[in-house]
Amino acid sequence: MKGNSMLVKGRFLPLLVWVAGLLIVWEALSWVLLNVVRTPLAQSKLPYVHELVATLFRYAGTLLKEGAATFGNAGVGFLLGAAAGVLLAVLMSVSKTIEQLTFPYAVASQMIPILGLAPIIYGIVRDEQISRIIISGYITFFPVSLNMLRGLRSVNLSALELMHSYAAKPWAVYWKLRLPAALPGLFSGLKIAAPLAVTGAILVELMGAQHGIGVIMLRNLYYGPSHTYMFWSTILVGAFLGMASYGIMSLIERLVAPWQPEFRPKGGGR
Amino acid sequence: MSLMATKVPEIQMENVEMRYQTDTADVLALHQVSLDIAKGEFVSLLGPSGCGKTTLLRLMADLIEPTAGRVTVAGKSAREARLAQKYGIVFQSPVLYDWRKVKDNITLPLELMGVKKARRDEKALELLELVGLKGFADKYPWQLSGGMQQRVAIARALSMEPEILLMDEPFSALDEFTRERLNEELLSVWSKVGNTVVFVTHSIPESIFLSDRVFVLSPHPGRLSAVVDIPLPRPRTAEMRNSPEFFDLIAGIRDSFEGV
Repeated sequence: MKGNSMLVKGRFLPLLVWVAGLLIVWEALSWVLLNVVRTPLAQSKLPYVHELVATLFRYAGTLLKEGAATFGNAGVGFLLGAAAGVLLAVLMSVSKTIEQLTFPYAVASQMIPILGLAPIIYGIVRDEQISRIIISGYITFFPVSLNMLRGLRSVNLSALELMHSYAAKPWAVYWKLRLPAALPGLFSGLKIAAPLAVTGAILVELMGAQHGIGVIMLRNLYYGPSHTYMFWSTILVGAFLGMASYGIMSLIERLVAPWQPEFRPKGGGR
Repeated sequence: MSLMATKVPEIQMENVEMRYQTDTADVLALHQVSLDIAKGEFVSLLGPSGCGKTTLLRLMADLIEPTAGRVTVAGKSAREARLAQKYGIVFQSPVLYDWRKVKDNITLPLELMGVKKARRDEKALELLELVGLKGFADKYPWQLSGGMQQRVAIARALSMEPEILLMDEPFSALDEFTRERLNEELLSVWSKVGNTVVFVTHSIPESIFLSDRVFVLSPHPGRLSAVVDIPLPRPRTAEMRNSPEFFDLIAGIRDSFEGV
């Protein structure tokens, strides 16, 4: 469609300009730091873009393999955490008692610093994969649960009265009204949680694992300035994984709940 | 179709009283309301805000229960009538579910009753034609104007062919032109369906144009202060709004307020 291609142009051209501009400024600053200001360890502070790109390509295999290990575990943990979050939200919305019993502990659980929790979990399960899954799930669970609960409660009174007037069974009220109405909330929770789950998995890897992007990140940091480009590459891969996880959630949201106001074409669709 | 046709009572209220407890006061929302609405009759509940007209409708719909008195709907208690799907209801806002296409919003009541998909789609097309929205079956609610959305809500209320249609200020959020057009369309739908309609409104001309009888309510405490027969012939036409009889009726109802 004509309108659509206009939209694509309208969105992607400015983005392209911004990214290109940013990279040029980066490369220039890097050169200034190295050759003009002559800062010590200039390349560790801001490496050349072209060197980074070269490293990314040279070690693409390793980065991809380790990145996949991180992403896979984070993904499993994310799915388990999300499922637990949804289940708890539904239970809390059904019963005030369950909410009062569980909610304070759910909140308290988020007060524990992950940095401290990760080695404890690892010490108990002694398996890096399982630790990554647990930590990712642990981080995911809370934002998903909270946003899902808010979504379930967002249903307005008239919509409920309508169901009541049709003598709808409680399960029907959930299935046909509360759950669809909660989807936007659920997806905000998922979009917050997905990058956090990746970060959580990387954190566990920093505690001393064998595989994962966090492991090469840590090694190259220890080996010092000579491995600067590789260290920066792992950071970029980590950032990419976070963005990818967010992007995947956004994509699924568009497929599952396309009726939301922000997905509607501008100017009405009459 | 008019009140002369049959005198079988469809909705009866006997000494209905409604009290609310608030933190500071004991509010009497409805005081000693008794009324009869005949089968096939079109009546309006008319009054200023706070007169309890919506409360009265919600009592008929069994969305709330009276603190005293009795409500009989279609020969049953209000609760039994609701469970037996004796009425369809239209609220002030259309209350359409965003994630459902127009046709699936319309047939939601049928879906809840377990009617098969093919039959539901068929019924949706039939109802869309009835309310003048042919060709909108696969649209989403946000693709429709306010007036169209309210017509979808009316189609939904009629989907399981209820004996009674309860309408709570359904057109009050619409502009005057749309409202008048929808008034005429509602009457044309009603002339085909022929069920009992209870219509809540705060507009005197709207209540006169639509109804066989107008129940006038007054506030503090909410009570029935007059019942006015509307002898205008049917079918009602837009021109009747300019007739001397129409203006006399408006004046008469206005007087009944001042007399309270």
